[in-house]
Amino acid sequence: MSAAAEYFENIKETVRTVFEGMAVTASHFVRKPYTVQYPDRMPRRVQDTLPFRYRGILEVDLEICTGCLACERACPIDCIVIACQKDAATKILTLAQFDIDIAKCMYCGLCSEVCPTGSIHHTSEFEGADFSLESLIRRFVTEPIAAYKPKKGPETDPHIVPLLERGMRHVDDYAVPGGDKPAEAKTA
Amino acid sequence: MSTLHTEEMTLNMGPQHPSTHGVLRFILRADGEVMREAIPDVGYLHRSIEKIAEKVGYHGFMPYTDRVDYVSAMFTNQGWGMACEKLAKIEVPRRGEYCRVIAAEFNRIASHLLSAGTMGMDIGAFTPFVHALREREMINDLIEELCGARLTFNYMRIGGVAWDLPPGWREKALAYLDHFEPILDEFNQLISFNKIFVERLANIGVITAEDAINYNVVGPNLRASGVKWDIRKDLPYSVYPDFEFDVPVGQGQWGTLGDSMDRYMVRILEMKESVKILRQALTAIPAGPVLAKVVRTLKPAAGECQIRVESARGDMGWYVVSDGTGYPYRVRVRTGSFAAMGLIPKLSRGLMIADLVALIASLDVIAPEIDR
Amino acid sequence: MQQLIENIIASGILGKNPPYQIVAAVVILIACAVVILVIALPFAGIVTWAERRVWARIQSRIGPNRVGPQGFLQWLADGIKLICKEDIVPADADPHLFKFAPFLVMLAWILPWAVMPFSSALILADLNVGILYMTGVTAITVVGILMAGWSSNDKWSLIGGIRSAAQIVSYEIPAGLSIFPVVMMTGTLSMEAIIRAQGWGPQHWFLFANPFCFIAASILFISALAEGNRTPFDLPEAESELVAGFATEYSGMRYSLFFMAEWGNLYIIGAIMTTLFLGGWQVPHVSSSPVVMNILQLIVFNVKVLFLVFVSMWIRGTLPRIRIDQLMTVCWKYLVPISFVNLIGTAVWVALWPEGNAAAGYLMAALGAAILVLFVRRVIYYLKRARMELYFRPNI
Repeated sequence: MSAAAEYFENIKETVRTVFEGMAVTASHFVRKPYTVQYPDRMPRRVQDTLPFRYRGILEVDLEICTGCLACERACPIDCIVIACQKDAATKILTLAQFDIDIAKCMYCGLCSEVCPTGSIHHTSEFEGADFSLESLIRRFVTEPIAAYKPKKGPETDPHIVPLLERGMRHVDDYAVPGGDKPAEAKTA
Repeated sequence: MSTLHTEEMTLNMGPQHPSTHGVLRFILRADGEVMREAIPDVGYLHRSIEKIAEKVGYHGFMPYTDRVDYVSAMFTNQGWGMACEKLAKIEVPRRGEYCRVIAAEFNRIASHLLSAGTMGMDIGAFTPFVHALREREMINDLIEELCGARLTFNYMRIGGVAWDLPPGWREKALAYLDHFEPILDEFNQLISFNKIFVERLANIGVITAEDAINYNVVGPNLRASGVKWDIRKDLPYSVYPDFEFDVPVGQGQWGTLGDSMDRYMVRILEMKESVKILRQALTAIPAGPVLAKVVRTLKPAAGECQIRVESARGDMGWYVVSDGTGYPYRVRVRTGSFAAMGLIPKLSRGLMIADLVALIASLDVIAPEIDR
Repeated sequence: MQQLIENIIASGILGKNPPYQIVAAVVILIACAVVILVIALPFAGIVTWAERRVWARIQSRIGPNRVGPQGFLQWLADGIKLICKEDIVPADADPHLFKFAPFLVMLAWILPWAVMPFSSALILADLNVGILYMTGVTAITVVGILMAGWSSNDKWSLIGGIRSAAQIVSYEIPAGLSIFPVVMMTGTLSMEAIIRAQGWGPQHWFLFANPFCFIAASILFISALAEGNRTPFDLPEAESELVAGFATEYSGMRYSLFFMAEWGNLYIIGAIMTTLFLGGWQVPHVSSSPVVMNILQLIVFNVKVLFLVFVSMWIRGTLPRIRIDQLMTVCWKYLVPISFVNLIGTAVWVALWPEGNAAAGYLMAALGAAILVLFVRRVIYYLKRARMELYFRPNI
């Protein structure tokens, strides 16, 4: 278009788009801010609002750990160190060391995926900052403990039942390779 | 009168700078405000990820692929998964493919939101950045419910995905899409059609179609130059043939074809197309398993394979050579950002320093993708 | 001020025959100190808090709300922090120029307070060249910024300083040209006289006196934003490009002096606009007591100025930055010709209607109200479309 028409077109476009932009920002003045005032002005702790699958800091329930070392093998960054020994005489598997270096951990979830009982699982904790690197090595074995032997039927020991239920919730949440999912997942 | 003696300034837009997208360094030779050349200096974020693959094996490498491009991690996951599946001849169940597409398209929207927002911020408008990030946070919330992480997802596995859609997630995702479309229009009214913004970006950094193909530019950068090439349509993979969507191509209506404004608008339009794909995928997702049966220690037969995935930044190529053991012999990732960096010296001649920032933002380079 | 000095001498608290010059000097100095220390400097600090809150609400965030009630003491905390920082002078920088530059920029901001018409009695010096003095004195910023950019011995600062010098000097022209229509209509440069020539209702404001003045007001606002280095013209301190432009090498209190000057300048911009176009401190005559009237006038003046400060912050949150050559194009190719057209148009208008045209005032005010209504309707359209939760209170 001619130079004069373009001149006025530029002015008109500038005024119109600035008007539109200011209308949008003006509409934001009266909208509720999206900010979450963490950590003190919140109705609930953030950790309680996180979804079940949230991959926070790892935790191990030693009572249901079978000592299969699948998590140690699966970890791509070698942050899990497990020492377990099978006593030749009594044939009992004892766990002497179960260290997870959460400074190295990349929260990928490969270890909890392969755990058969869900003893190693992610919690919803994410505040792990501390003042020394040594404190970031979580040592879960305080005294040598016998590994768990999964029973053929349902578990009967009342101490272990809630731990096993929680662990199996994590295990069941993962996709079953090649199999059919239970009924409620099909409708999701 | 004799001509004035002028000197060139050599400026360093160092690795720490508020507007290079990640750790990038540029050496600018400038004559006052106008640049002679901008030489990129890459390598500040090199982490030897391709070498690490040779140590951790096939399954263990999946979380590392997130870190190749952490803004659009689903695509890297998908690329690695597809490469291993092709090597080991594994077939992914249909529902697993649908889950992959849903996650990937949400990630595409999130990545483009980040790109559009930082583009606005580099041009000087701070509000669109925060608005875009607010929408991206909502997508992150959705994906957090799906797979447990907000940035480095590690959602996909060799043979499918690790988790099925949780109950109620589909409704939430559809509600989010209903919320998102008017917000995207509002975002456009705020910044995309703003005359000042258009004037800053039009006719800057024009990449002709021929240059784009010669320099190996991919993705929205390529499509903005008029070349209609999208791996999802031209070399279809996964279940993309099931969906109806357009491939937005630059029209050049604000300036020249292939300028920064075209690249920006192609991303905005791609977000709308992703919303279309998501609606179709979320309503048509079939029942069934999401993960194929794969052995724990995967030892694919010796051979090589090449996979191309349409990532948010373009055609991402995965080339994997296997030697029959449980560890790959060589993994090579080819990313769009690295090629785009090669084009910057040519594009930057004659630009002003302020335009260089707009150019880098419009090419949507992400430093980890350049250096791996 | 004259009146005040004579009242003090006449009241006899200083003895029988105090020397007039010394009393005048001391009274003026104390008044200046009060204005600067109590009004200007705290304003520069408080406006940072206000800007952060306004900006945050535009961006769906909250802004500072922890330090003090609603974050009100954030600026004090920032000030104390900046004072405690190490004072770094780069080794190769020119130390004298480097240290002097922030003070020049502050000077350019503090001097206009001398002619600020807060109310009919509260004006430090009612110069009969008031508006000319203001325009002249705000131009000292150029010297300060150039000094800062050059003496930092840093190429990025140099680029920022030169950009800013070009910008401020260029935008003096449309600013000056947009002041002329008002000067023509009143025939005087004095701030008080310009305000007295307007009335308290919108139809009597010079903003709505004739269409040329309306456009001149917009051009003055845009030019004043450009002179104050505010978005969309904040290229000299473009954060995403040059870190902090001409002020990159500055740290601690020197840095904060630059930015206090910039934020404080918002008040000056608002005050110039209010005086010239928005009727200044004019209020309807509701009381015969001068104290009450003065307080009302003070409040009205400040409300108008603070509204314009708010609009500056709002624009900062909305618009992107203009590039330096586009900035020059806008100034020389758009603003200057339009200002000339305004000038000639107003001259013709004044020749046709020397006493002003009341009908035009009403018409233009109605037009202004119509634009406002259109704007509000657009805002409501966006609110309905986006379907996000509303929240009207400014505090969280």
